[in-house]
Amino acid sequence: MSEKTKEKPSVRSRIVPIVLFILAGILLVASVSGYALQGTQESKANLDDMRTSAVLHAASEGLINSIAQQARADKLAELRKDKNFRKRGLDEVNEICDGAMNEARAEAEKLYANPVVQDKPALESAIIAYETALAASGSLSQDERAAYADLYIQLVDNISDWKALAADGMDDDAVIAALGKTAPDLLKDENAHLRAGFVRLARDMAVKQQAKEDAESQNQLLTVLATAVPDWNEYAGLDKDALWEKLTAELPEIAAGEKFKDALLSDALARVEAAQKGETLSAPAESEAGAETVSETQADYRYFAATEDLAQKELAENAAYDALYAQLVTIIPDLGTLSSKLQGTLRENIEKVLYLEDDGFSARYNTYRSQKAEPEASGAWKLNLASLAQNLLLAGIAILLLGLVVFFWDPLTQRFGVSRTIIALFFVYLCLLAEFYNISVRMMMGNVLERMSMYGVLVLAMMPGIQCGIGLNMGMTIGCISGLLGIVLALQINLVGFPALAFACVCGAVVALPLGWAYSKLLNRMKGNEMTISTYVGFSFVSLMCIGWMMLPFTNPKIIWLLSGKGLRVTHSLLGSFAHLLDNFLAFKVFGIKVPTGGLLFLGLCCFLVWLFSRSRLGIAMTAAGSNPRFAEASGISVNRMRTVGTVLSTVIAAVGIVIYSQAFGYAQLYTAPRQLGFVASSAILIGGATVSKAKVSHVLIGVFLFEGVLVFGQQIANSIMAGGGLSEVMRIMISNGIILYALTQTGGGRRA
Amino acid sequence: MASEFILEMNHITKLYGSNAVLKDVSLKIRPGEIHALLGENGAGKSTLMNVLFGMPVIHSTGGFEGEVIFDGQKIAIASPMDAMEKGIGMVHQEFMLIPGFSVTDNIKLNREITKAWPVSKLLGKDLEFLDTKTMAKDARKALDDVGMSIEEYTLVSGLPVGHMQFIEIAREIDKSGMKLLVFDEPTAVLTESEAQQLLDVMKSIAAKGIAIIFITHRLDEVMNAADSVTILRDGQLVSSFPKAETSPEKLAALMIGRGSESVIQVEKRKEAVEGGVAMSIRDLWVNMPGEVDKGISLDVREGEILGIGGLAGQGKIGIPNGVMGLYEAIGEVELFGQKLPLGDAGAALRAGLAMVSEDRRGVGLLLDQSIENNIAFTAMQVKGSFMKKLLWQKDARAIRRYAEEMIKELDIRCTSPAQPVGTLSGGNQQKVCVARALALDPKFLFVSEPTRGIDIGAKQLVLETLVRLNREKGMTIVMVSSELQELRSICDRIAIVAEGKVVDILKVDASDTAFGLAMSGVKSKEGEGA
Repeated sequence: MSEKTKEKPSVRSRIVPIVLFILAGILLVASVSGYALQGTQESKANLDDMRTSAVLHAASEGLINSIAQQARADKLAELRKDKNFRKRGLDEVNEICDGAMNEARAEAEKLYANPVVQDKPALESAIIAYETALAASGSLSQDERAAYADLYIQLVDNISDWKALAADGMDDDAVIAALGKTAPDLLKDENAHLRAGFVRLARDMAVKQQAKEDAESQNQLLTVLATAVPDWNEYAGLDKDALWEKLTAELPEIAAGEKFKDALLSDALARVEAAQKGETLSAPAESEAGAETVSETQADYRYFAATEDLAQKELAENAAYDALYAQLVTIIPDLGTLSSKLQGTLRENIEKVLYLEDDGFSARYNTYRSQKAEPEASGAWKLNLASLAQNLLLAGIAILLLGLVVFFWDPLTQRFGVSRTIIALFFVYLCLLAEFYNISVRMMMGNVLERMSMYGVLVLAMMPGIQCGIGLNMGMTIGCISGLLGIVLALQINLVGFPALAFACVCGAVVALPLGWAYSKLLNRMKGNEMTISTYVGFSFVSLMCIGWMMLPFTNPKIIWLLSGKGLRVTHSLLGSFAHLLDNFLAFKVFGIKVPTGGLLFLGLCCFLVWLFSRSRLGIAMTAAGSNPRFAEASGISVNRMRTVGTVLSTVIAAVGIVIYSQAFGYAQLYTAPRQLGFVASSAILIGGATVSKAKVSHVLIGVFLFEGVLVFGQQIANSIMAGGGLSEVMRIMISNGIILYALTQTGGGRRA
Repeated sequence: MASEFILEMNHITKLYGSNAVLKDVSLKIRPGEIHALLGENGAGKSTLMNVLFGMPVIHSTGGFEGEVIFDGQKIAIASPMDAMEKGIGMVHQEFMLIPGFSVTDNIKLNREITKAWPVSKLLGKDLEFLDTKTMAKDARKALDDVGMSIEEYTLVSGLPVGHMQFIEIAREIDKSGMKLLVFDEPTAVLTESEAQQLLDVMKSIAAKGIAIIFITHRLDEVMNAADSVTILRDGQLVSSFPKAETSPEKLAALMIGRGSESVIQVEKRKEAVEGGVAMSIRDLWVNMPGEVDKGISLDVREGEILGIGGLAGQGKIGIPNGVMGLYEAIGEVELFGQKLPLGDAGAALRAGLAMVSEDRRGVGLLLDQSIENNIAFTAMQVKGSFMKKLLWQKDARAIRRYAEEMIKELDIRCTSPAQPVGTLSGGNQQKVCVARALALDPKFLFVSEPTRGIDIGAKQLVLETLVRLNREKGMTIVMVSSELQELRSICDRIAIVAEGKVVDILKVDASDTAFGLAMSGVKSKEGEGA
């Protein structure tokens, strides 16, 4: 073996990395000189000049646009006066108007496009003053808004019963105290200015909730009317009051609905009328309460209030803008003719030029360029190079990494395996790309952490299956469904908080035990075909439970379909039960990343328990039975029993896993939702370095990090590359399924080592 | 006729790497003679035939030295197909017949007789019709030649194995231009009367002028049918002579040979072991594929090293596997007077038995696990050793300590006890297997083919370890091996198994003749009997 590997790589695997290293070297040198150029006085002055012309351009462009639009509107009005207006086609009208607009624009450009600056230093100092003021207020405003959004999301995500919090007659302090129980940060002094806003929010939410509940109960009563009265003809000829009396006497439910008297009466009258004609009106449509759309909560800034500090800074900002505007008017006097709305747009445009979240050299350069500010011809290439410094650096690092990986290919792949090396490299590239597209890597890392705690336990469920020899346990959906059953049982008996979470886990695990046992008996009869069988069993069990969810005798109106009174809804919000409970437990922020401490701790605990098990006598026997059944049998171990142990364990962990998953997601989804989870989990563990016959805890952790990392970054970057439209969604599906496919090719075709 | 011989293979030498499997072997066969080719397993018979047929395995490993003269011409045979065209045929040991086809179809497979018709004239020979009548006639004639009365249109599936062997022969003699036929152990699966019939068929084929190379282990058949005999041993030509000059005893002695010295020098016990019976096996039938036992009865004395020898495929390996419960077995086995349930490996291990398997990589080891885990595994599972009291955890420190001790004692060459056994050499893997068995602290040890595929140094060490365990700890050992020399160097007695039964139990110093005869199923006067 050693002879062969020594001969082969000489040509290809030496030249390729050397070429890559040279390329990377060139890029890095270019990048370093770019950064050096950024620091020179010349470039700075040049860039400042560009800023001035960008501001002027923004101003003049605003004016030109307004003139052009005005000309178009005038032309249109003129045409409308014409008698023959309606005879003209739309295209013709557009053509005429556009012609007029372009003419006006050309004329305006002649006048305003190249404004003559007389007092340049004055303009520049005004620009700088405004820029400074913007920076001061802008970052503060951003921080405050972020703090506000945090509180907002905490409250809205975790409070389900607003009515109790902000009942009529409760004074503001009481409401604040109640809110503070959910979001303790609100009670801190620094957030005092926000309290009034949140009180308003609570009251608004209470009103909304009341309205929603009213609508629901009204709908329910209407349903009673539609179904409970055998013959409406008996009610014929009664006037409103008599009808109401008769209805309330006969139907006690209606009596409770005094509040909806008008709606009920008009419905009843309509039914009487229809009955007399021999028709029957249908029941009202099912309310949409069960099919809530699942989306992330966005903060609503209507309830935001600024601190005094910020308010002052905003005043200063206004003053600075006024000064700048005065300067601009001296240069382009006609700016004063703009309407107030366009004045606002003008300010926004100038703000966009001067206030940049990322005020690095290249960001400034690119912004000014987008405002048609040209650098001075002599220094243009320098500025260009300087602005490209960061991208050159990224490209240089990327190529350098590629070169290193090719150079150390053999030791790397021997140590980490081909798939892990490639996926890890891919992940690093995605991070570089994210940097290139100015996507916040920090924020996405937070996202990855969250998803790790969400999927971790599910991926862990794959491990005992692989160890005991049944390979990738695609039938873990059986465990998932047991866990979901645990969740709906917890909802049925109205449990909340940690008891609900614990109940769902234990209950799911208990249900998973016999199911996993039966499933393992099936697998023991199908040795050698486990992957096919488990995929099939997983899918068919999901389908079976689609019937099951409809048939099971749940009664809590919160979870069943309202109209038919039976069958579970598809999506169950866990707000107010145990949504985000673990993830928020001991959660803290580092570098702006929210760390879901509780979730990660729980994942760690589960991993530790599984690790302990794998070192126990039973665990060792199970691993041996999986990796070499004949060896295990020769040591007096019943291979079938070990496979049962592993399968049951995998199913039980999957049951706990789906509870954790739903907790992190905030919703429990029934019916066909769990179908794909087996694929996700198996891909993650394969990427982590496991094979179909060998898996370790480290494979689970690395795998879930890499898989989720690639998914989160890949999606974001796909979104940036193909902004808007449905393409990013297509990309999302392609990326996630592509990873799954790649991971599955790494199973080695079912080979047992 | 161009020459006296139809086939001359002169000075054939074949190397696999640096290992010579054939050393200057010559073989000369006259037309119309039955030439028996004898030798133990691994003597080089198959390699010689592979050379004759130009098998790919020969060409891909660097060819061979020497010359092959067939029918008076020096030839180079490129492939088995080439050999067939030149008139050399083979009757295989495993039947190469298609069960769903009729006897005729099988005989004529790939040599069908066809009739042309207009479409085939246009579109080629592949679309011609089969001339079933002529084919049936040819098949009938071939069947008659081999003395088979079955109808030529019967399907092959469902025929008894004996019939299949004859159909195989019929197919070969149906080929026109056949000059030399090789029979590779044709009688192994036949009943006695069928075997006799086969020998008669061979004689009648030979009478037509076709030469036959007859590979067999059964010396009586050689005496019955062969005209001349060539004996190979360890890749070397031992002797070649007409049958008339020999006897079964002489053949047996030549096959075994006392050529090489003992593998290791062990001080022989002065007195025979006279302990009680450690294990008594009565009428043991084991269904192990390729190593079927049909009624083994054997007593193992306490404190002895008993060898079990015999040719491959005769059932010697079935004995330990059957007793240990790895393969389906019936019969009665008593260990130190206690009845041992069969088919339950756990019970056998708990009773104090241990085994070092012949299938080292398959049954003997967890290849991707560390040395220490392999050593500790069985003891941990069977006896609960190496465990902590808390939480059923393994005691990694105790395992490490024991593994290090074993590595020193057995001289296992490794970087550390944590090295995966898959990366060790064969000899060191075998030592790990021995260490694993020893961790059980067994009273009775089965060692199956302990020296297969390991180098000479490791061989010595493994054998010395076995002797030491026997002498120092009084462990009763049963060693199964195909290498008679090894058995003779360390065992007290040697049982020879042939065709699933114990033929004879011999002392180590019994004559080669006695061993040779026992291996071909004949009991000699020297043995103590089975």
